[in-house]
Amino acid sequence: MRDQGAVLEDVRQGMIPAHIYNDDEIFALEKERVFGRSWMFLAHESEIPHAGDYVVRRVVDDSFIVSRDESGAVRAMFNMCLHRGMQVCRAEMGNASHFRCPYHGWSYKNDGRLVGLPFHAEAYGGEEGFRRKGQTLLPAPSLDTYNGLIFVSLDPAAPPLREYLGDFAFYLDFYTRQSPEGIELVGPQRWRVKANWKIGAENFAGDSYHTPHTHSSVVEIGLFREPKASKRKEGALYWAGRGGGTTYKLPPGTLDERLRYVGYPDEMIARMRATWSDAHLAMVGDDGFMVSAASAFPNLSLVHNWPKVEDAGDGASDEVVPFISLRQWQPVSADETEVLSWFAVDRNAPQRFKELSYKAYLMCFGSTGMFEQDDVENWVSITSTAAGSMARRLRLNSRMGLLADDKPVSPPLAHFSGPGVAYVGFGEYNQRAMLRAWADALEAPPPEVGTVDLGGTP
Amino acid sequence: MTAPAPRTIARCLSFGDPRHLEAHQFLVDEAALLDTQDYDTWMSLMTADVRYLMPVRVSTARGAGFDTAPGMAHFDEDHYSLSRRVARFATEHAWTEDPPSRLRHHVGNVRTFPVDGTDDEVIVESAVLLFRSRGDVREPSLISAGREDLLRRDPTGAAPSAGHWMLARRTVSVDESVLRTQNLAIFL
Repeated sequence: MRDQGAVLEDVRQGMIPAHIYNDDEIFALEKERVFGRSWMFLAHESEIPHAGDYVVRRVVDDSFIVSRDESGAVRAMFNMCLHRGMQVCRAEMGNASHFRCPYHGWSYKNDGRLVGLPFHAEAYGGEEGFRRKGQTLLPAPSLDTYNGLIFVSLDPAAPPLREYLGDFAFYLDFYTRQSPEGIELVGPQRWRVKANWKIGAENFAGDSYHTPHTHSSVVEIGLFREPKASKRKEGALYWAGRGGGTTYKLPPGTLDERLRYVGYPDEMIARMRATWSDAHLAMVGDDGFMVSAASAFPNLSLVHNWPKVEDAGDGASDEVVPFISLRQWQPVSADETEVLSWFAVDRNAPQRFKELSYKAYLMCFGSTGMFEQDDVENWVSITSTAAGSMARRLRLNSRMGLLADDKPVSPPLAHFSGPGVAYVGFGEYNQRAMLRAWADALEAPPPEVGTVDLGGTP
Repeated sequence: MTAPAPRTIARCLSFGDPRHLEAHQFLVDEAALLDTQDYDTWMSLMTADVRYLMPVRVSTARGAGFDTAPGMAHFDEDHYSLSRRVARFATEHAWTEDPPSRLRHHVGNVRTFPVDGTDDEVIVESAVLLFRSRGDVREPSLISAGREDLLRRDPTGAAPSAGHWMLARRTVSVDESVLRTQNLAIFL
């Protein structure tokens, strides 16, 4: 394997060797050092509300059953029978008290415990030959939640999730904690794109610069009440802890007026007021910034926007409806990504709001979304072009917002109510921060992992 | 909404029935419009109350009682949202279809069923296989789906289709849980 030191050095300078977006050796390193230890989003608790509910999700190649056991606890179990390695669950969602392996009939309770082992006495000599008691499907090495978002890490020594996220957790609250009960997550739509996973993660983290051009068509068709693409540069870009994002600058007004402008009904505004911290409320009400796209390292992204979803007839209506999407760029290979895109809405939102917000999501993002369609065209094209030898000679300039001496074109915001560092105007601060985290991960030796012994291993 | 007719073999209209012939022609004519991305004409075949739905299919255990993701779809459209999608393709900045995909909608397995109490509506089942090719580097993509349509005769006689049929409702049952195409900037 090549020494990637020079590549990582270039990345830290904001000069991106183009081949990192389609390179099998880099991808092998990413599997080991990025996805082998980062906290990876799997599901939200609202997807498995009842005892026995489960979904099956992956961390790259590893399939996990995410279930709610009979005691109400959330489990993430490696979906591989302890005996011969068959997948014990081949559906992607449902409700089950047990999972039975189709190969030899070993069966497991929905908390992972091995409870059925055909001919245990005859074939193994009972407990003496194979100790069934205490055996479980392999649990994910680490599992933790934030606002009901279930994450796992393949590193048994992973730091607590909240510590890993750092101050990005503050921004997650805008999307996933508009009331104390949090969100319902619906979906996901799933589709495969021939694009490298990093491109989407970087784009959502901070690329407000692409909006006026890539997405000009959605503005032209009147989906928004103002030509907001051109207003993108008035928003703040923030990076905090393990993630960052973009915001829109709202028109002048009070907190309530600004939240109404985004399309939130008063009862939801009242719950936000009662739930969010003073700093959250100040970022919207005083600073006038409303979260838009964001990414948490490595491959979880969020987006919030507010289009028109109903025909105004004469085009006079200014009614908009906000929506939230959460998505994961699940890597398949160096040049392919499975996109999982969910719709998120506050659990306490009025039913009519939920319906319209879902429509707003479908029109803008996801497999049919009018924003997403043009994004993916770009990303697929970048990925295929990055495969060749010329791409090894090209270092892409990702230094927007920096002068030659690394000083910022304009200084960070002196007054910004959220945590982290924020800038106003176009700049690739967040994409660089994302790739710095990536470079740090690639450089660190892989986590030590032990093997698990079963039954009567000598 | 019209009550769903039981779609048994016995109720399927004969392939020589004029309603079946018109319904079949509707689908083949429509496929030509979708292949050539003639969306203005396509929209003229939609009723004002059209609903165009494509649920997300999921793998579930036999007997689970459902095979679509609860509350989620790829398309869940009304006339307004379809009109915005079509209007976007007409701008000069819908990059995902510029250059346009080469599209071929193969339509088959057409069966037509009467709707009780009216001669002006029929339910039509069909299978569609969409071949989509972009550029010269990427592999083409295939989308296979079943469709269940409610066709309604345009009382004004303005719809340009044979017999003046319009599409009032379509449910697209896609045959993959994970789509292998970069987006759904196309219609089925």
